[in-house]
Amino acid sequence: MTAPTDIGLDGLPPVEPYRPTLRDRLSGWAFWIPIVFMVLFFALPMALTVVFSVFERTMFWMEPGFSLLAYENFFFSARLENFLASMGYSLISVVVSFCLGFPIAVFVRKSVPQAAQHRVVLLFILPFMVSEIIRIFALRPVLQRNGLVNETLLNLGLIDEPITALLYTHTGVIIGEVLSFMPFIVFAGFLAMEAVPKFIFEVCDDLGAGPVRRFTDVILPLAAPGIFAGAVFIFVNGIGVALIPNIMGGPGAVNAGLIATQAITALDFPLAMAVSAIMMATLMGLLYIGHRLFDLTKILAPMN
Amino acid sequence: MNANHPAVQVRQLSKNYGSVQALKSVDLSIAAGEYFVLLGPSGGGKTTLLRTIGGFHKPSSGQVWLNGQEVSHLPPDKRPTAMVFQAYALFPHMTVLGNVGYGLSLAKLPKAEVLDKSLAMLEMVGLKGYEDRRPNELSGGQQQRVQLARALVLDRNILLLDEPLAALDAQLRKDMCLELKHLQEKVGITFIHVTHNQEEAMTVADRIALIANGELVEHGPARAIYRTPERRFTASFVGENNLLSGSVSAVEGETVTVPVCGQPLTVDRRGLPVRVGETVALSVRSELVEMVPADGAEPVDGLSLAGTYTESVYLGLTQSHRVALADGTEVVSRVVGESDAPDPTPGTAVRVRWKPGALRLHMN
Amino acid sequence: MNDYANIWLHRAKWAYLLLVVTTLMSPVFYVMYISFNENGFGAAQYVFTTRWYGLIFSDAQLMNALRWTLWLAAVTAIFTIPMALLAAKFYKATRAKVPVVFLLLAPLFVAPDILSAALLVFFKNLNFTFRWLGDQVGVAFMDGWGQLGFTTAVIGLIIYTMPYAFVVILITMGRYNKEQTEAARACGATGWRAFWDIEFPQIRAGVFSACAFTVILCFNEYTRTSLLKGGFDTFTTVLVSQMLNEGMSEQSYAMSSFVSFVAIALIGGIIIFTLLRSEAAARRAQPVAEPGTRSTAAV
Repeated sequence: MTAPTDIGLDGLPPVEPYRPTLRDRLSGWAFWIPIVFMVLFFALPMALTVVFSVFERTMFWMEPGFSLLAYENFFFSARLENFLASMGYSLISVVVSFCLGFPIAVFVRKSVPQAAQHRVVLLFILPFMVSEIIRIFALRPVLQRNGLVNETLLNLGLIDEPITALLYTHTGVIIGEVLSFMPFIVFAGFLAMEAVPKFIFEVCDDLGAGPVRRFTDVILPLAAPGIFAGAVFIFVNGIGVALIPNIMGGPGAVNAGLIATQAITALDFPLAMAVSAIMMATLMGLLYIGHRLFDLTKILAPMN
Repeated sequence: MNANHPAVQVRQLSKNYGSVQALKSVDLSIAAGEYFVLLGPSGGGKTTLLRTIGGFHKPSSGQVWLNGQEVSHLPPDKRPTAMVFQAYALFPHMTVLGNVGYGLSLAKLPKAEVLDKSLAMLEMVGLKGYEDRRPNELSGGQQQRVQLARALVLDRNILLLDEPLAALDAQLRKDMCLELKHLQEKVGITFIHVTHNQEEAMTVADRIALIANGELVEHGPARAIYRTPERRFTASFVGENNLLSGSVSAVEGETVTVPVCGQPLTVDRRGLPVRVGETVALSVRSELVEMVPADGAEPVDGLSLAGTYTESVYLGLTQSHRVALADGTEVVSRVVGESDAPDPTPGTAVRVRWKPGALRLHMN
Repeated sequence: MNDYANIWLHRAKWAYLLLVVTTLMSPVFYVMYISFNENGFGAAQYVFTTRWYGLIFSDAQLMNALRWTLWLAAVTAIFTIPMALLAAKFYKATRAKVPVVFLLLAPLFVAPDILSAALLVFFKNLNFTFRWLGDQVGVAFMDGWGQLGFTTAVIGLIIYTMPYAFVVILITMGRYNKEQTEAARACGATGWRAFWDIEFPQIRAGVFSACAFTVILCFNEYTRTSLLKGGFDTFTTVLVSQMLNEGMSEQSYAMSSFVSFVAIALIGGIIIFTLLRSEAAARRAQPVAEPGTRSTAAV
């Protein structure tokens, strides 16, 4: 081993441990701003919903206290049934969206030239760029009794009487959800498919795996984290966006979002907070399950 | 620049990433005007060391001194170093001239001066007339020249090069290697060059430092590293050495006896404090090993081993004969030049031998 | 696509893709179609007119709401984009990637109604706390803090748009080569200068996309804005309250179409712009000199 004297290090002061200066400490503070902002105005309010949900309700607002009345109101009323039912319909929407939308993501990834892929996916941004409210409202003149769909079908002679089941029914809610959120399954599916290397398709052809085997054994496991994220997004928004059942559903069609909004209109804030807290718990539960099943950190891989 | 100070000094430099130690208490001194090469296997720490000298990594402990000043925690823009990267480091949205002049314009020099200096430097690296091109219109070699111009125009006295030729193909690498050497001789500043390619290292270097596993293994001029390696690792990395190991059976004065495969080998002690019974390593360069047919009688001169011939590999300039010893260890004998003699049949008994002094002793 | 693939199957898949896009967009196009009809929805006769659009621009309340919307969108973008840039850089530099990305993307997974309800209650309670504090200490300047209004609406919109801006910018930065920043620093640039001179010009397109994205999202947003804005009206809230209360009037169709036109024009513009730019860049890049060949200039 070459000794320090061989390489001319005599005469220098001894090495001291490093102490960071104030300037060093401050130079990186700016990067914390977004984190602090999100914690302060997102994480904190969401966490506080649990606290506020046990406050006592007053005429116009609420009082600090501890009361489980809000939860009672929720769990021991028709609200719970409606909530669970809306979860069921949301689930149906997720499945339908997946079946309709995911093949598109696979197709774009497989058969569209690399450079054009992002542009094709951008096409699916177009509907999303139009306010979701307007898209929902715009479905009324289309699905109504005398709307576009019925008019066309009648004119084509395919039906004798207008279909009324498309609007103001649960079917209408599902249609609304699928049409609103399908672009997301295409995005999420596309991002998820980045985890599937392009040569997989050729390898599968080589090995003689048909499209079904290819899907279940290769694509699904690799793309699972992204698909799950997209599914959670649709599911949570399906039970959370109040306007969809409000406009598309019949009387009594509610989801959690509508319950919360109605609660606010009725000035029952603890109830609204309780619903929010329950939604948060549902979301956390779903994400936790997903993480255990799929290791959701893999979604981040394309972005690194 | 004070001629008494070495240009670069690194003292007890360590760098940790979590539990991984990239650099382990490295001590190094580089003289002003020297072409110094950091050679080593990938992931061994040579790039980490270079980048720490440049200011792109903060040391976990230890110091960096440049031109006699401590700079350990200064950012790269405050250090007297300039840097050339492996690839993709030119600014694609600027022309060649813009790239070269960028550092000068940051220093707020007058535009005319920036222009003059940039053009002069472009001429020095052989790219006169390329000022208005864009990086994506240049070949790999041309891009590296622009990087050199951009770094040298800053008139700093230490240039860091991080595997500058790795992205070029073999022939181009050889040409540019020599050009780098000439450039350094012309400009006269300290160059610190990182590479894993031995030939490149030996072409350009005044001194080479071998960095592996985060440690400085050995350093010295190319000739010393190649011919007279001190450490076993050096012998295994530089050149094509045969490595043998055994337990010392006798030490008499300057002669050490180590049996290998049952046959005693004698080697010069070189002043190392070996003791009987210690396990040591022995190395001999394959070009100093001669393969001869076995003649039955085994001479006990300590300068040869018996084995069986396996195969030969013809590489144009050299031919390597591979011989297997009794315990399966392989010894290679490299021969330079043409020979029309037919290769022996595999399995033939042969001897490998060398002249006194060719075998080197390494302690563990 | 390999040579053995069935060309008709390929075409069928493309047709399906375009069919889905068309179906998703069709309600919007249908609304646009109606908006130009003199006789409104369901009328037997179609007479083209721009009368309903004229009505929008002459309605003072609506124009005022439009001004508020643009203002909201601009202010939100001014805050969201730099924060998203900082967050993207933070994410790239840190080792604790999972919590950071979780925090930044979580708002995507919380339904808008729920998020706004939580923020609404949070702000109101915050306001009460400040008032109470003010009363205790004897000062009045804190009484306005946290009150529902422009600021709270902006905060809600920042939370809403941040994940989108973050993802777009992160993806754009992914294509940028970090060595260029290091080279700039080695030339003497501080961290800020290296970003502004070298990195930003190359990620500019992504940043502008994120900006456009953010503005459109704010423009179209209803739920969070309506709950958090306090007193003033935005274009979308006026539209929606009209629709909910009076059903879809002719004017509603025109308003919806107007908003949609703007959004589609912006995004369509971005798509076309990036298309033209990438083709121009491909044309400009000349083939690199073959290695090993010697031209009169040095290799």
